[in-house]
Amino acid sequence: MADVATGNPLVPMPARIVKIVEETPDTKTFYISTDQGKPFTPKPGQCVMLSLLDVGEGMFSVTSQGPDHLEIAIRKVGVLTTALHEAEVGQVVGIRGPYGNGFPVEEMKGKDMLFIAGGIGLAPVRSVINYCIEHREDYGHLWIIYGARTPTDLCFKEDLFNNWPKVENCRVDVTVDRADEKWTGPVGFVPPFVEQLKPSPENRIAIVCGPPIMIKLVLETLAKLGYNDEQIITTLEMRMKCGIGKCGRCNLGSKYICLDGPVFTFAQLKLLPSEY
Amino acid sequence: MYKLATEKLPELLQCWSQGATVYVPQKVGEVTLFRPFKGQGDLALGEGNTLEPPKDLFFPRTEKLYDYWASGKEARLEPVELHPDRAVLVGVRSCDARSFLLLDQVFLTRGYVDEFYKKRRENTAVVALACTQAAPTCFCTSFGIDPGRAEGVDVQMWPVPGGYLLEALTPRGEEMLKQASGLLAPAEGEKIPAPAQPSLQVELEGLVEKLQKMFDHPYWGELSRKCLGCAICTYLCPTCHCFDIDCETIETSGYRFRCWDTCLFAHYTLMAGGRNPRPTRKERLRNRLLHKLQYFVERYGQFACVGCGRCLELCPVNVDITKVIRDVKEVSL
Repeated sequence: MADVATGNPLVPMPARIVKIVEETPDTKTFYISTDQGKPFTPKPGQCVMLSLLDVGEGMFSVTSQGPDHLEIAIRKVGVLTTALHEAEVGQVVGIRGPYGNGFPVEEMKGKDMLFIAGGIGLAPVRSVINYCIEHREDYGHLWIIYGARTPTDLCFKEDLFNNWPKVENCRVDVTVDRADEKWTGPVGFVPPFVEQLKPSPENRIAIVCGPPIMIKLVLETLAKLGYNDEQIITTLEMRMKCGIGKCGRCNLGSKYICLDGPVFTFAQLKLLPSEY
Repeated sequence: MYKLATEKLPELLQCWSQGATVYVPQKVGEVTLFRPFKGQGDLALGEGNTLEPPKDLFFPRTEKLYDYWASGKEARLEPVELHPDRAVLVGVRSCDARSFLLLDQVFLTRGYVDEFYKKRRENTAVVALACTQAAPTCFCTSFGIDPGRAEGVDVQMWPVPGGYLLEALTPRGEEMLKQASGLLAPAEGEKIPAPAQPSLQVELEGLVEKLQKMFDHPYWGELSRKCLGCAICTYLCPTCHCFDIDCETIETSGYRFRCWDTCLFAHYTLMAGGRNPRPTRKERLRNRLLHKLQYFVERYGQFACVGCGRCLELCPVNVDITKVIRDVKEVSL
């Protein structure tokens, strides 16, 4: 690893894009591997700094992993992500990490799990969904509620409509803001959809990730359904550069999202400035 | 304790220059800055604080991390191996000496060690110079800093009539005094001068607790109306340590570097896609001040201000951190 060779945690190790999956018109999942196999083994919810050496470096959540690769789902929004979307299989990238705390998979043991995601927000949540599926006996009922703007914008369709519904004791509900002519499923925003489905707060942990406005409204809905702040977990994002709690920019009060987060309970977030 | 005659100061610096670069306050045009000692130059050890703090000795303004080559799908990188020369930093005031200990907290603790900072820090001996006179903008004593005796330094110097008193405080400091023994005389009967007594004081009792309740207070909006967002305060602050990482590519090769940055600039937290959690000067100035006076205390147990007074003196619109502290104590919640 770069750490051993140089002692400098800001220097990435070289890796390659070994597979690219087009999720939606603006989102692709990149499979990353090194000559020695998987770069490292992140915990669900942890992040990595991924770079195209001559373009830039950015922090992304790891959406899933296999024995020899990491999967990183990236939406095209800026300079680096546009360049990544133009890259092809075989492209050399730089990668460093893993960073952050990850989801509290130990504390979640024995609980029923509710996953609520919107748009690309499913990317970090997918890592913990897959973890719960791999360790199926440790967790109770799994309930995935997901929404995107249109059917075309739904990420990870293979998981949503094929893999996850087949998992024992697992329920998947998908909604879209606007249907197209082929869509026969529910239509509407995620927060009212959750309110309709009424997932009981009994022995359940809710993991919520999506656009800030969706998170805000889902939190209100969950409170209405009787969830307390300790039962709700979310994962935050902020501009990051170092990833190791030194460069300063991702602070929320005295916490650094890259190091102390990105995963926080709603109870923890209430103690921090609402500057995210 | 030893005494050095004033006229022997250049010889002492020359002596410490063997195998090391000596940095010492010198007159550069109208201002005083830490500069490498080259045998001559206009030494300015009696002039109070340097215009800029010496933090760039450990944390340079721009620092290359690695070189890279990229062409088509192929790319490789070559990390910079840092082997800094030994350095001796002479004439550091107690406020700046405290700032090194605060920067150590940032760069050397909490799970990750910044190797570049660590190597530079370890390779640098620090010789402090006591203050016997305070500038009108000095308020170090409010933070428990003794202007007459610095923390975490190798050698402490005191100005006395006709020269300086020197005391070694670490094995490295003892070694340095031994190296210079031909220039030093035992300081018998010499009295350590009384430390400076800054007249500017701030009351910190209850400050953190008050700030914790003030995040949404209109005070920050009012205060930020005069801030220009120029960030001179960050540039001159001995404890400001935020950095950016960027790259410079020319055709197929380039390098990635880090450089000083500031939370007062709009792009600092601007995310791809256009969202900015600190969209105006109000949020940005509030973040800088809360970081100094609340967040750093919560994270590391100490204030990230050392009372050096540089920002008071040079802010073009007089955003005065001591006034902020006084205001905060007085505003009603």
